[in-house]
Amino acid sequence: MSQSEDRIIVQTVNLTAYDKEFLHLSGAIQPHGILFALKEPQLEIIQVSNNTFELLGFHPQALLNQSLKDLLTPTELLFIEGCLVKDFESVNPIKLSIDMSNNIKNFDGILHRCNGVLILELEPKLTQEDRNFIRFYHLVKGAIAKLQNAPTMSGMCQDITQEVQNLTGFDRVMIYQFDGKQAGKVIAEEKREDLNSYLGLHYPASDIPDQAKKLYTRNRLRLIPDINSQPKELVPAQNPITNEPLDLSYAVLRSVSPCHLEYLRNMGVTASMSISLNKDKKLWGLIACHHYSPKYVSYEVRTACEFLGQVMSLELAAKEENENLDYKIKLKSIQAQFIEAMPLTENFMDGLVKDKDNLLQLVAAQGVAICANGDLSIAGETPSKSDIYNLIEWVEAKIDNDIFYTDCLPRLYPTAEKFKDVASGLIVLSISQTQKNYVLWFRPEVIQTVNWGGDPYSSVELSPRKSFELWQETVRSQSLPWKQCEIDAIIELRSAIVGIVLRKADELARINIELARSNSELDAFAYIASHDLKEPLRGIHNYSNFLIEDYADVLQAEGVSKLQTLVRLTQRMEDLINSLLHFSRLGRVELTLQKTDLNELVNSVIDILNISLKETEVDIRLPRPLPSVYCDPVQISEVFSNLISNAIKYNNKPNKLVEVGFLDTALNKPEYIVFYVKDNGIGIKEKHFDAIFRIFKRLHPLNKYGGGTGAGLTIAKKIVERHNGEIWVKSAYGEGSTFYFTLPSVRVSQ
Amino acid sequence: MTGSTQPLLLIEDSDEDFAAFERILRKASITNTIYRCVDGDEALDFLHHKGQYSNSKAPRPGIILLDLNLPGTDGREVLEQIKQDNELKMIPVVVFTTSSNPKDIEVCYRYGVNGYIIKPIDVKKLMRTIQVLIDYWFEAVILPNSVRG
Repeated sequence: MSQSEDRIIVQTVNLTAYDKEFLHLSGAIQPHGILFALKEPQLEIIQVSNNTFELLGFHPQALLNQSLKDLLTPTELLFIEGCLVKDFESVNPIKLSIDMSNNIKNFDGILHRCNGVLILELEPKLTQEDRNFIRFYHLVKGAIAKLQNAPTMSGMCQDITQEVQNLTGFDRVMIYQFDGKQAGKVIAEEKREDLNSYLGLHYPASDIPDQAKKLYTRNRLRLIPDINSQPKELVPAQNPITNEPLDLSYAVLRSVSPCHLEYLRNMGVTASMSISLNKDKKLWGLIACHHYSPKYVSYEVRTACEFLGQVMSLELAAKEENENLDYKIKLKSIQAQFIEAMPLTENFMDGLVKDKDNLLQLVAAQGVAICANGDLSIAGETPSKSDIYNLIEWVEAKIDNDIFYTDCLPRLYPTAEKFKDVASGLIVLSISQTQKNYVLWFRPEVIQTVNWGGDPYSSVELSPRKSFELWQETVRSQSLPWKQCEIDAIIELRSAIVGIVLRKADELARINIELARSNSELDAFAYIASHDLKEPLRGIHNYSNFLIEDYADVLQAEGVSKLQTLVRLTQRMEDLINSLLHFSRLGRVELTLQKTDLNELVNSVIDILNISLKETEVDIRLPRPLPSVYCDPVQISEVFSNLISNAIKYNNKPNKLVEVGFLDTALNKPEYIVFYVKDNGIGIKEKHFDAIFRIFKRLHPLNKYGGGTGAGLTIAKKIVERHNGEIWVKSAYGEGSTFYFTLPSVRVSQ
Repeated sequence: MTGSTQPLLLIEDSDEDFAAFERILRKASITNTIYRCVDGDEALDFLHHKGQYSNSKAPRPGIILLDLNLPGTDGREVLEQIKQDNELKMIPVVVFTTSSNPKDIEVCYRYGVNGYIIKPIDVKKLMRTIQVLIDYWFEAVILPNSVRG
């Protein structure tokens, strides 16, 4: 924009009005050409633009209801009639020359049909360009080679702006690219040196209303040679065949909408040309040309530009694919790293948590949160944990096919307004909703990440800046859009995770089957072993007894005593076998965990012990009521029974004291309670603190302290460990011992 | 009339266990005829009058004492066959075994065993157990074929 126009007052266009205008039914054309509406087959002129006198020397009224045939030479007529059965694309433009009072005037004619009406548009040939294919080919040949060889999308865009400027001589040629919301951005520019750059500027979707976008998709090229020229109405205003205004959607001369004129005027533009760039049948962007004085472009050059636009459209897909290729390769390698790392972790979510950097890079996010079984772990710029928990609660119902994503979260979830600076964009990937395994990625508000395209406050160019500001308003609470390849990468990551998890589950299932089999074998083995050991043992026992009964007199006292020892040994052997069987069975029996009142439990253990302890002086105390825990009451009874009876057994004091209690909860492990059984017995030397828990490990000879099998503490340890607890002992030798063990105060998984 | 005179079939592979059993019965002055089979196959032959028992008149026992872990056809299978046979199923079968495996106990009762006794090692306990067994089945209980019309 030139300096002279910097006082233009920008009025915000009434966009809704713009959108509602029926641009294609304007009933008028730009004055640099003539439009005929014709009725076939007679080519009767039923409507004509109100400028025939200036350009042809005939008044419109004189032409109406005449046949076009009267204006043309027989050769041209024959040519046109031939065209009518062909595809117009391949015949336009047709070269027509009309005899105006012995002055031959040459025209470019463009034919198309719309709603059953044949429309012929004529533009006077201003230069005597030699129109032939060779010239056209020369015009575009170099350009096409450049486009195709451009290594990147931005390179191609830069090339085409140069080529179009070379072909047309426009003061400024730009490439606009629309984003997913149809707002635009200037991504390439070629301009006169004295003009300010618009490169990198964004503008709101409303700058090019939907109506206009539709027409851009239909008409690949639009030329406005002079915004100050007066449009020419069609005569008559209604088409006599349809009784409606003529549909000018495909007319190259269609008049310009007042809103668009105002828009151009605000930018100081006098002439403009735009070429549509389509990708996948959608309007991807425009080649926009501006000129600061009137400018006409011949049909031929326009066609060349249009052709370049089409070539570029074809190249777009490949270039964008390429553009993303490096990025996609990077994403793939990140994915691969996860897939490699995950199976090595016990819980697949840990694999994600361990590598948050890559997780951020996977979708170019600024923040990430991993929710594994409801536990949150965050990295980068994220909302607070409590905000994330609330967000998860809100989003759970909205996840569709394991994914939810948006680039304008606050609009869907108003609560997010307060943390839009870090989380205007959100992707939620659900790995498992039942287990609350989610990954959330966050992107900040786009305003904070956008390339400003220069300092917006120093500029004197009002309009594009105004648009830019307007665009900024529209992108508040929005993040940069998520790319399809980023979404794809996430979905692929999920499939990989699910694959890994399923594989792990399969492995586990196989291992479990294997385990079940070996368990039942072991089960059987334990019983069979005990059975097979007991049978000969019983034989020895019985036969020793028979000997004592039948041959006592022969054996004498010494022999009998030896046989009695043999009998005692068999009984001891049976005790050992029973203990071993019991111990090997412990891990097999399902724990039936329930909330258990330990006061009742311990008291009933004491009652049972008291029955067998009648003759001994024992004082068993509970200094304060015991708490409730989650445990298997049968097994925990056995633990208390073992510990209390040991406290009594290994005690040589006349007044035996046993205390059963618990410690106050440790801060670092609030979910576990430490219980203790304390005695004033013989104590244990420190070097044996570990050994006493080994199976059949005894510290004393059998004939002392009512020798047991040495399995009691081993069994107690195993039971406590099956409850996810620990057991240990502290003791002052000769003064007494205290056995400690932990039990869960809450339900924990086994 | 109780089954105190009916023969008793003991299916037991261990000679020592059998000897102890016999001795205890003798000491308890029990006079019932005792037949012994050393494995499952022999027991089934004895009951079905087959094999070595095809010509002899093997009497139908009033009660069967069955050890579970037998060579060849295993005690569980013997029990199953007895309890599936329309005639034999009436004979009370008491399992007399060393196996304390809960699975065995469950399986035997599922097949319809009439009692399950774990053999104790202690000889006094063993005597007491056998005494109770005999008192119950031959004194207290009425056996099916002991009432003659």
